Amino acid sequence: MNRLSRLSSAVALAAMMATTAVPAFTAPAQAATLSGGFDVGPGGFQGNFNPLAATGGFTWLSVYFEPLVTYDEKLQKVTGVLASSYEVSPDQLTYTFKLTDAKWHDGKPFTAKDAKFTMELAKNAKTGSVLAARLSAVASVEAKDDKTLVIKLSGPSASLMDTLTKVMMLPEHALSQIAPDQLAKNSWWSTSPIGTGPFKFTKYVTDQYVELAANTDYRGGKPALERIINRYFANPAAAIAALRAGEIQFTYVDSNDLTAFKNNKDFRIIEGDSFVVNYLGFNHDSPIWKDIKVRQAVMYAINRDAIIQSLYGGAAKPANCAYVADQVVPKGVETYAYNPEKAKQLLKEAGWDQINGNKPITLLTYYTTPLAANVMAAVQAMLAQVGINVTPRAVDTPTYNSIVLNPTPDTAQFQMVYAGLQNGPDPGSINVGLNEKQIPPAGPNVARVRMPQLTAALDAALGETDAAKRDLRYQDVCKVMNSQLPWGPLWVANRYGIASSKLKNFVWTPAPGGGPYQAYPEKWAIAE
Amino acid sequence: MLSYSLRRLLIGVGMLLALSVLIFVLLRLTPGDPIDAYIDPNVPMSPSDLAELRVTLGLDQPLPLQYLAWLQQASVGNLGYSIQRPDQPVLGLVLSRVGPTVLLMGTAIAISIIAGIATGMISAVRRNSMADLSFSALAVTGISSPPFLSALVGLYLFSVYFNWLPSGGMLTPGREFSIGDLLHHLILPAMLLAIAQTALIMRYMRASMLEVLNQDYVRTARAKGVYEFWVITKHALRNALLPVITLIGSTIGLAIGGAIFIESVFNWPGMGLLMVNAVENRDYPVIMGSTLVIGACVIIVNLLTDLAYAVVDPRIKVG
Repeated sequence: MNRLSRLSSAVALAAMMATTAVPAFTAPAQAATLSGGFDVGPGGFQGNFNPLAATGGFTWLSVYFEPLVTYDEKLQKVTGVLASSYEVSPDQLTYTFKLTDAKWHDGKPFTAKDAKFTMELAKNAKTGSVLAARLSAVASVEAKDDKTLVIKLSGPSASLMDTLTKVMMLPEHALSQIAPDQLAKNSWWSTSPIGTGPFKFTKYVTDQYVELAANTDYRGGKPALERIINRYFANPAAAIAALRAGEIQFTYVDSNDLTAFKNNKDFRIIEGDSFVVNYLGFNHDSPIWKDIKVRQAVMYAINRDAIIQSLYGGAAKPANCAYVADQVVPKGVETYAYNPEKAKQLLKEAGWDQINGNKPITLLTYYTTPLAANVMAAVQAMLAQVGINVTPRAVDTPTYNSIVLNPTPDTAQFQMVYAGLQNGPDPGSINVGLNEKQIPPAGPNVARVRMPQLTAALDAALGETDAAKRDLRYQDVCKVMNSQLPWGPLWVANRYGIASSKLKNFVWTPAPGGGPYQAYPEKWAIAE
Repeated sequence: MLSYSLRRLLIGVGMLLALSVLIFVLLRLTPGDPIDAYIDPNVPMSPSDLAELRVTLGLDQPLPLQYLAWLQQASVGNLGYSIQRPDQPVLGLVLSRVGPTVLLMGTAIAISIIAGIATGMISAVRRNSMADLSFSALAVTGISSPPFLSALVGLYLFSVYFNWLPSGGMLTPGREFSIGDLLHHLILPAMLLAIAQTALIMRYMRASMLEVLNQDYVRTARAKGVYEFWVITKHALRNALLPVITLIGSTIGLAIGGAIFIESVFNWPGMGLLMVNAVENRDYPVIMGSTLVIGACVIIVNLLTDLAYAVVDPRIKVG
């Protein structure tokens, strides 16, 4: 047999193998298995298994780990998970949690000792915990008995409960042998983690998917699904392809990808508040924004309603301070309705020609989606009409952070940013971006906002321990922001997920960082 | 040949060392570091907390010290731990990706060699026929269609529209491993990756074959009454293959570039996907480790190409 014919028989053999192999996959996927892109989009964190190091990805982590408390599905109030109830002392310094009867996935009981162990790991920055700074008000944690946990604070903290929703309980018996500084490097997280949630970790195939199996002993009842698979995708577009091909039943989608799913009975669109306010951040270190008239002119020059209607398809609410939620926005705030003539007038009064004139102003952003590119182009065109010449520059997240978080930044590189900041569910989340005490390197107030009145309003709101008065304090914050314009607030957009209509009882909301919130994964089901 | 190979390998080691310095310096010149990549700007952290994380990763040390520390560990085979996934050692992570990439690239290269040489030969032998014109037109389209376009069109057509092939991944999640499942996932990305190279090989093969077919020894063979089939396969093909082999060897680098793209579109768990993720997250140890492995592969493949030369053409002696 000569070489060519040997080669051709090899090709024929390979072709035969390929064709005979194909029918094996036409069999339907196993019932009672839900596949989804749970870590797709801004709330996801693919490849992270360690809840202590998680800056996102809680939608998925909370399917097998559980915190003491979590948000309800609407992200409005905090409710118990592993804590059946809790009490706060009148001086707001002692929190006592009663723990529920729960078991780890290996059958051992969950006790207050585990909770104390977890809290100490979370407080210890050596473990790589991103929660350490937020838990700095915690003075001591004590396991009074197996079912009672007492947390004592050094001063009242309005954000403690919000932080506790992100502290996933970890088993002391599995982790106590590992030195805290070696914990993050341990392979336990991605090979054999155990939690108390309705599903158990079974395997992780690197950068492909994570598989969980039902925890049949779950205290909330045996889960309806047998398995849940979290598939990894390089971008939301790839996840959408898989969703449309029927390979997965759920994923996050960007709002400009929604059209394919509207009026399609095979899919259900899930809409929710992003809890991220988008804004134009004036770099207050740059002299060009000093005059408030210039900042007001920017607000009047931008037709936010037109951008929301044409680019967001109406799925965003205009923001006139950092908030859009009714209870924290006072009545009668200026709405900065589109008025380019007024903008030109204000610039003239401020002497814009002398301040900057036609010189280009860098508008820096870390948003690299097509939607963001369109928004930046619209903003650029609208500002150009009144005589403000901005040049958009989109960079990746690490580049953005390295520029804006630099303690001695080059002002020319970012005279202005187009950015977002989490504004809920705890309205106090915005403090880090606006309080004068948070200017880098102390904190991430990247716009270098130095406004004593705003700082005082934020401090008063954060220190308010009376829940009833807290909203009023945040209204004060909103009022100051609205009149002083530390940023040009733009809007709060909605975010979306798409679920197959075969999914039943499926609860998802586009929470910042993926939650956590009460999603009841044990009730999720899939129709044949 | 042995001493030649050894000498080439030694030069290769020197090149790898230079490559590591280059990548190290380039990485440090790139704005942002692994900690900057870790922070979601919507949920920011204070630079002072970040500074603490930098100390634990040794990113606060002077650059030459950081490089020497890396080199010292690398020389004993320890490429460190991924920063993005601190529970995974880089060496294991990189080695686990070599297999899938070799499979994808190997399949793509095999497809392009077989299809490219066959169509190139047919085009040359049946010059200006319908077949030649169609193959040539296809080749021009193949060469000029950028991978980002062909990959997305292929994905849309075969996965979303016709629903024949999976949209990504290497195996069906949650299903037992089977060769069939693997091939089912492999076929689309491998075909798409092969397009550009097939077209290139076809063009070269056609030109080279046309040249050889006009040589005296081919005419002599024909004059002796040798069957046309043998004239083409025995006399012409072997000689026409020489420049094509050089081309195949030197396009391995190109194929790696294409593989990086195809892997990220199809979520193929190879070196390309690993590197793209690592660059996005400024995962320095992973970028260094994977660049070294890819560099070593290119050096070895080039050496093998030179050796293959000597095998195909007895006139060429290496040494």
